[in-house]
Amino acid sequence: MAFFKVDNVAVKGIAACVSKNTEENLSLPFYSSLEEAQKMISATGIERRHITPKNLTASDLGFKATEKLLDSLGWEKSSVDLLAVCTQNPDYINHPDSFVIHDKLALGENTMCLDFFHGCPGWVTSLSSVCSMIQGGMIKRAILISGDTVTRDNDPSNKETRPLFGEAVTATALEFQENAPKMFFTSGTLSSEGKALILKNGGYKNPYNFETLKYDLDRKAGKLSAADVDDKMDSMDVFSFAISKVPKAVKKLCAEFAVNIENIDFFTFHQANKLILENIAKRLKISIDKVPMSLKNYGNTTSASIPLTLVSECGKILSNSHKRHIVCGFGTGLSWGAAYFETENIVCPDVVEI
Amino acid sequence: MDINEFIDKFAEIFDDTDRNEFQANTKFKELDEWSSIMALNVIAMVDDEYDVLLKGDDIRGTETISQLFDIVKSRK
Repeated sequence: MAFFKVDNVAVKGIAACVSKNTEENLSLPFYSSLEEAQKMISATGIERRHITPKNLTASDLGFKATEKLLDSLGWEKSSVDLLAVCTQNPDYINHPDSFVIHDKLALGENTMCLDFFHGCPGWVTSLSSVCSMIQGGMIKRAILISGDTVTRDNDPSNKETRPLFGEAVTATALEFQENAPKMFFTSGTLSSEGKALILKNGGYKNPYNFETLKYDLDRKAGKLSAADVDDKMDSMDVFSFAISKVPKAVKKLCAEFAVNIENIDFFTFHQANKLILENIAKRLKISIDKVPMSLKNYGNTTSASIPLTLVSECGKILSNSHKRHIVCGFGTGLSWGAAYFETENIVCPDVVEI
Repeated sequence: MDINEFIDKFAEIFDDTDRNEFQANTKFKELDEWSSIMALNVIAMVDDEYDVLLKGDDIRGTETISQLFDIVKSRK
């Protein structure tokens, strides 16, 4: 199991951006009754989700979140040494999104751009990479952007996925700081189970041709019956994976680095759905009060979900106190990443809506 | 492993279905209360109670409670 620790890096702030446009789960077209919709909401914890209109992309949300964050921190653009972006929905296939956002922010040529292609575990795994780069002391300041416009790839007639997924992009500010509290990370991979979360077409394995393009256009228009779609999320496999691997990863992280689980203030997990988070909390024997959830108003926001939750549910507290965190992202891969870190009076502006 | 105990635990997951409706040969996916969420609750119950991790294919490939019981038993 991959474990590592990072010295001398501090989380200085987190910002998040969503579209103003929301979709209410109570009024989704495929529920046969109000009761059916209410049951789904009660189990998932998700009442509404923010859906980005087609004229905006993840890079627009990432730009706004970063702009807000830099402004709130009072960081000069020229002081940002590294701009890292984790998304599965870049503006272009062959042009990393960090360049798009670098341009929008009008950052200078001395800022390095770096991209991570990852889904739900992405914030934690990119955080581990970016923090590792900073700890040497040569890179002083970095911004890590993460999030997707995931609903664009989903089938709107799919009753299992449509009520779950929302869209958000976040920005996290990291800084070299001598003697900052240590950060601990672990990450694991179960690639043999990866098909539970794969979209099969559009890459170089199954490039778009007339047939594959028609399939995807029909799927995204909700025109295919569930039986004809073989690359939809296998929610049972993902559930089973999450409730077994996440508690184990957290326990192993604590054991490896002698972290006392009793001293943790917030366990912020990837916001898959309430049922999964409740089961993880139960298996870790931790109080659900220590497990913040942004599900109600945002749903599952893939790699934005952990930083978004820290901002939307804990922002006020984090801005004026010292807290110990455990986070765990999981999904895509299948894989997971867990981390321990501390925050002290970090900058957490309100979620930006555009 | 006792099948009656398994049926009891299976039935406890459901709120609106009468206990008498749960028998070894009950086709659980035909119950009114069955849903994709219930499937997840079954997976959680089996992990909690029997330390066996069911997969999506296990649920999709079974019809009756006793068939599911057999899978769990075979993995104990």
